[in-house]
Amino acid sequence: MAETVDVRQRILAANEAAAAELRGAFAAQGTLVVNLISSPGSGKTTLLERTISHLAGRLRLAAVEGDIATERDAERLRRLGIPARQILTGGACHLDARQVRSALAEAAFPAVDVLFIENVGNLICPTSYDLGEDFKVALLSVAEGADKPFKYPAIFARAEVTVITKADLLPHVEFDLEAVRAQLATLCPRGELLITSSRSGEGIEAWCSLVQRRLAAKRA
Amino acid sequence: MHELGLAMDIYRTCRDAVAGQGPGRLEWVKVAIGELAAVEPDLLVFAWQAVVQDGPDAGARLEVEWRPARQHCPACGGFLERPRGAWLHLCPSCDRVLAVEGGDELDVLSVGFLAGAEGGGHGRDG
Repeated sequence: MAETVDVRQRILAANEAAAAELRGAFAAQGTLVVNLISSPGSGKTTLLERTISHLAGRLRLAAVEGDIATERDAERLRRLGIPARQILTGGACHLDARQVRSALAEAAFPAVDVLFIENVGNLICPTSYDLGEDFKVALLSVAEGADKPFKYPAIFARAEVTVITKADLLPHVEFDLEAVRAQLATLCPRGELLITSSRSGEGIEAWCSLVQRRLAAKRA
Repeated sequence: MHELGLAMDIYRTCRDAVAGQGPGRLEWVKVAIGELAAVEPDLLVFAWQAVVQDGPDAGARLEVEWRPARQHCPACGGFLERPRGAWLHLCPSCDRVLAVEGGDELDVLSVGFLAGAEGGGHGRDG
């Protein structure tokens, strides 16, 4: 007869411990850490390219890129002159804090003001994994449809910032921005919503200001 | 398919929990999974079987306790009944934004350990 052993521990306790360790290190360095989460193809890397160009010379940036395969994203960002490390998950649908910790240890980045972590393109699994970030950003491109927040409530409830991307396509697709606004108001009443287009540059200034504001608040 | 990663974490957590008990085998594991945890119980059980099948704890059962998220209206009070997955966003009676309680559980609750049996401690590492 089996004996019952009480455990009562979070399944993700090991991840949460690694995330806490990262968060402590980021706090000591005064580095703001942003975890970008979205479907594949909604424009995370392109938004980062725009961000790097916009903040060049003002802030020291670095990035960790999560993908199933290829170094492409990290290479795109390195071309713009920032240190970037690719994590290849080999099939896993999200990044976890242990992977980020190893990647940062191996990369040995110089001190930076802001570290962007671009998660694997997926609106579900990355939601559960704390990476030691200051906040999560959910991206939603206008071509994906305006019902995404209610269909994937967990990420849109936990992301403090939602960035609408590809706004230059608005004349060509059906996308009810007010419907998105209403959904976010119920899922994340204190969240911020930004409308951007990496192609036209719309909203990039506002997005970069938000990052700078959050960095200043962290260091205050 | 992050259920596989979770199943590996569950296994490690269980083995750590019985590490001080001497040799033995895991018979069953009870976990609590919340509705908002983005985990599908059937997939988790399937992944669990894959994690234990060739190791010393082969055959150990994973039992999932499902924990619904509960919604209530801060204005009228009281919890609202709703079918799983049918999310309510505004209070049906007063139109206020609903509050959510619980539903993010991802916990190992307890394990059944059979002391002395042929058993693990050297299970797969993930």
